[in-house]
Amino acid sequence: MNEKQNKITKMLATKLEAGTLTVDEFRRGIDALIPHAKEKLQDILYLQSNNTSLQGEVIGMTMIEDGELSEGPPNPKDWPYKTVLEAVCAGWRIISFPNMALLAVSESDPHGLGFEFILERIKDR
Amino acid sequence: MKKEKCNDCKATLTDSQVLEFCKNGYMLFKGVVPEEINRKTTHYCEQDDYYEPTRILDEDWFIDNVILNRKVAGAVRSLLGQDFHLPILMSNHRMKAPYPQQNWHVDGNFDFGHELNYLQVFYYPQDTPLEMGPTQILPGSHLVHNKAKFMAHLGGIAGTMSATAPAGSIFITAYQIWHRRGRATAEGMRNMLKYFYWRTTPPVRDWIVEDDFDFATVEYESPTDQLVEQFRGSVKVAKMFLWLCGEYEKFQNLGGQSWPLPAHRNDTPYGFPEGLPRPKKTSEQ
Repeated sequence: MNEKQNKITKMLATKLEAGTLTVDEFRRGIDALIPHAKEKLQDILYLQSNNTSLQGEVIGMTMIEDGELSEGPPNPKDWPYKTVLEAVCAGWRIISFPNMALLAVSESDPHGLGFEFILERIKDR
Repeated sequence: MKKEKCNDCKATLTDSQVLEFCKNGYMLFKGVVPEEINRKTTHYCEQDDYYEPTRILDEDWFIDNVILNRKVAGAVRSLLGQDFHLPILMSNHRMKAPYPQQNWHVDGNFDFGHELNYLQVFYYPQDTPLEMGPTQILPGSHLVHNKAKFMAHLGGIAGTMSATAPAGSIFITAYQIWHRRGRATAEGMRNMLKYFYWRTTPPVRDWIVEDDFDFATVEYESPTDQLVEQFRGSVKVAKMFLWLCGEYEKFQNLGGQSWPLPAHRNDTPYGFPEGLPRPKKTSEQ
């Protein structure tokens, strides 16, 4: 719960305890507590790893944060996450795991850059 | 009369250098074009700022110093064989800096595999430090099949090489190598001329042969080993090298620890193809 939601909850609880909470105030309070899509922003993180493990070495990255695209510092040693697990521990949620159809491709078929995880982080605007 | 093929260029690469090209998919020649020619080229590109200033190929000074530059043409001759075909089209990726980086891509009409039948070449007539957005490539990726439209979301890639170079530098690449224009933060005009050579004769090992070069023990490891299944990079590099030597039909891979895997062995690698050249002293033992 964020600061704004805490404030609304506290106000509703205070009025409820005092017996002064009206139905209209209750409805508006609940409405304000529900996150609205337009108030949320999705950050996206593509991490390409050298295998399917969450602890595999990250060999490629692209981050879209607050609508801005970034590919991290030029030196991979300075990238924010060395493994997918580190990103998960920092609050990123995996929304796509490496495509296991890659198992079926032959050497002569395209197989892209490693094993790609796509992660998201939802933030308030 | 316009020259179509180079029939008097001397091969200047050694076995080891050809093998390095097979591993990396590129070769950079720094500052090989004289400053006067760089100035003339830059001036020419100011007059003809079309993205394909092909008429520059009619200029003798350009042909002699850039297209047939001794060091570069010697490398092209080594990789594409005698009578290689000269460029017929000139592209100029002329950009006014600053500008953002391009998406990673492979150029269209590519063919991934062990054959090397053409080369894409880049020439910088001006200094191109990091701030001027040099071409970035992923060494070894000429052997990792991909498609441009599946690469647009890629960003930072470990192992990326920025081809920073002084004026007069030329780098030759395997056409299908993953590459992009880097981000430029400085101000100014960047010319980057791009052209093509083709093979017209079957591959043969007619570059500079090293007496002690041993097909059995040299390392075939690829810089993109992290992208492919273990040891597949070595197999792909060995296939490409043997093809260039004109020995591809001898290639074999008997699996496991056999040739061409990297290893510290006590004897000739198991599965080493019969008939491949060995250094004299080794074959006499």
